[in-house]
Amino acid sequence: MMVQQVTPLKIIEEGQRLWDSDRQPAGCTHCHRTFLAHDSHIDSSCPLCRIGHLEPQALQINPAEPERMLPFRIKTEHLRSIFTQFSSGVWIKPEDFTTENLFQRTQKIYWPLWLVDSDVKGQWQMEAGFDYQVESSKEYFQDSQWRSRKIVEDRIRWEPRLGGIKYHVDNVPVPALEEHQNRQQMTGAYRLENAGPFHLDQSNDALIEAPDLPPTDAWPLAKPQVNKKLSQVCAEASGAQHSRNFSITAKYQNLNWTQFLLPMYTSYYQDDEGTPQILVINGETGEIQGPRLASQKRGWRIAAIIGGIAAVLLLLALLGFLISPIFPPASILAVFSGIFGFTAGIGALIPAIWPSQWNRKNQSPVIIKRD
Amino acid sequence: MTEHPNHETQITIEGFEQVDSLVSSVTVYAPKSKPSEEEQSRVYDCPNCGATTAYDVAGGGVACEHCGYISPVKSKTLGKIADEFEFTLETISQAERGWGIKRQGLHCNACGAELSLPQGVISTSCPYCASNQVNLTTSLEVFIQPRFLIPFKITIEQTHQLSKTWLGKGWFHPDELSASSVIRRFSGIYLPFWTFDANVTAHWKAQVGYQKTVRHYNASQKRWETRTKIEWRWENGTVPINIDDHLVTGSSSQHISHKILEQIYPYQMKDLTAYHPDYLAGWQAQAYETTLTDAWETGKQAIREAAKEACYQDIPTSHVRNFSMTADFADESWRYILLPVYLAAYKFEDKTYQIMVNGQTGLVAGQKPVAWWKIWLAIGAFLLPGLILGLIGLPLLLVGGAGILPIGAGIILFGIGIVLSIMLYNKARQSEAK
Repeated sequence: MMVQQVTPLKIIEEGQRLWDSDRQPAGCTHCHRTFLAHDSHIDSSCPLCRIGHLEPQALQINPAEPERMLPFRIKTEHLRSIFTQFSSGVWIKPEDFTTENLFQRTQKIYWPLWLVDSDVKGQWQMEAGFDYQVESSKEYFQDSQWRSRKIVEDRIRWEPRLGGIKYHVDNVPVPALEEHQNRQQMTGAYRLENAGPFHLDQSNDALIEAPDLPPTDAWPLAKPQVNKKLSQVCAEASGAQHSRNFSITAKYQNLNWTQFLLPMYTSYYQDDEGTPQILVINGETGEIQGPRLASQKRGWRIAAIIGGIAAVLLLLALLGFLISPIFPPASILAVFSGIFGFTAGIGALIPAIWPSQWNRKNQSPVIIKRD
Repeated sequence: MTEHPNHETQITIEGFEQVDSLVSSVTVYAPKSKPSEEEQSRVYDCPNCGATTAYDVAGGGVACEHCGYISPVKSKTLGKIADEFEFTLETISQAERGWGIKRQGLHCNACGAELSLPQGVISTSCPYCASNQVNLTTSLEVFIQPRFLIPFKITIEQTHQLSKTWLGKGWFHPDELSASSVIRRFSGIYLPFWTFDANVTAHWKAQVGYQKTVRHYNASQKRWETRTKIEWRWENGTVPINIDDHLVTGSSSQHISHKILEQIYPYQMKDLTAYHPDYLAGWQAQAYETTLTDAWETGKQAIREAAKEACYQDIPTSHVRNFSMTADFADESWRYILLPVYLAAYKFEDKTYQIMVNGQTGLVAGQKPVAWWKIWLAIGAFLLPGLILGLIGLPLLLVGGAGILPIGAGIILFGIGIVLSIMLYNKARQSEAK
């Protein structure tokens, strides 16, 4: 029978300070995401929706003090080039979509994973895979002669293994947010092996997002991760390089939940309708993701200007044709004005059509990986 | 699985045994390995009377000649499903030691053959050279252990009849041959063989010629004529070839005639049986002298020639030039098996001849002495008609033109006689050849 010992849920009171710091729980009035914020963050706009603002509020889940964190490897000064690269592909941008705006609106955030520790005792079985090499050959016949080339191929030999295990699994990362999968897609992958111990002072200028997935709900997600770790341990114990069809019947005891913080930046720009478009930057890899929209309003404006010029030129052409019987050289002016006016008129269609075409093609958020 | 009171996990699973674990808090169980060959070593004594027992072909078990006790061999007939082994780098470089029963190595001082014989035997006739000068050697080489064999199905008594029938066949052998002492000297021996499987994909490329009839105008004859022309085109193709149980002998050609051995093929692999020492009780068995890698080289050469032949057959015409091909070997595997052969070596007019009987099918092959006076007589008979016609034709040619016909016929008959004579001579040589 499986036994779970989960840290009891605690309600953190509004205004209660956490981890011997001035951080207090705060929530967004619009998207209801919760953060552990400094006083300076209170009443600022929510960095993840940019619609609501942060207000002090109580927490339903105890955000256990983080055990490990991945530091920001991408420094603030790197962000300008990332934003420039991101926005440079758009021809007719919203006026608000500038590198400077994006840079000024940048907010550092740490978002959470749970780190689970557990004592596991039980029986396991799996197919253990052992690497080995076989010799094969390729024979060539040319000019009445045979030549032979030896080929060494890598293969895996699968053998059944079973046994008992009494093992302490430490720091298995599991989701702590309801929207974990979505968040992971937005930020891209992190290299968790680069993480270090949590230091409060390293997170001073950042908001820390609070978990909204309680350990009881996270455990079903954690268990496969714990078992995956155990399969690696059992494969190692068997001297195998691979494992498959791992199954275990075990008791999971002394579950301990701490946090693992991952770095990201957010920023935004406003589209034609004034709706904030959120950009997310992976604080470790610099991968940026977000909608990259063109401005239809600016497109119309440019089209109108070019169209106006075309109309004037066409009027000139008409005038030239009318006076050409009296003043023949005016016909030359009429021809040229007509050609340029017609070309400009056709050209005016491009900025009118392009933004909607671009936005249709770029409906899903764009990901730009950093070299 | 049961849990031990001291909380150390103890597992009792049939067919599994605990093995070393590289992590202290994890116990690991793996399928039980086969007991080592030392554990299987045994002495074949009759449990009833204590006499030495041996495998009896007719009884299909280990039998005692004295009291009639018989114990069936506990081994399964596996046929084609018998395990095949890959050419792992480890296998190539390593070999397993042991035969499963205590046997001893014997070295023939006359022909140099290495034999493995049941314990207690200190001398025997060498099955290869009929020599009695055999001495015990200290040890044999390291061997890969045979995992499968085909047991003897033909009894010694049957070989007598089979060989007698075989020796009686053919008119150009000495009349007294079938009555010779060969029959009394047969000895059954398990000979080593390697079998190989592989999937070969052969890709060929060649210029293929197609015959074409062309009309052209002959200016000197002032008429249209036709002639045949070969049109060459580059073509290519792919031929998949499945090689199943390609047999290569593990015996050295110095000790056993591969030519004769190949004449007693094929063996029916459906009778392949898991190796059990009981089958060897009282019988001779030879360990391989040709190593796995050498045998595979031999096998590969034969297989690639077969692939080449298959490629030629894939080409729609017989006109081929600039032929090249590659043969990709895949899924190569091997078995080391023992196959039953009865051998006899006998002397006739101071010459030694070998004879072999397939211990499974009873097929007989070997060297047979030739009565050369019969051969020369036959050759004379083949050539004589042509010579006689020529002799008749010559005087007739001097008298008038009528001699041309018998001379012409004589030349033709003489030519046919020469061809037949050569064929007969070669057949006679082959009959005596090793």
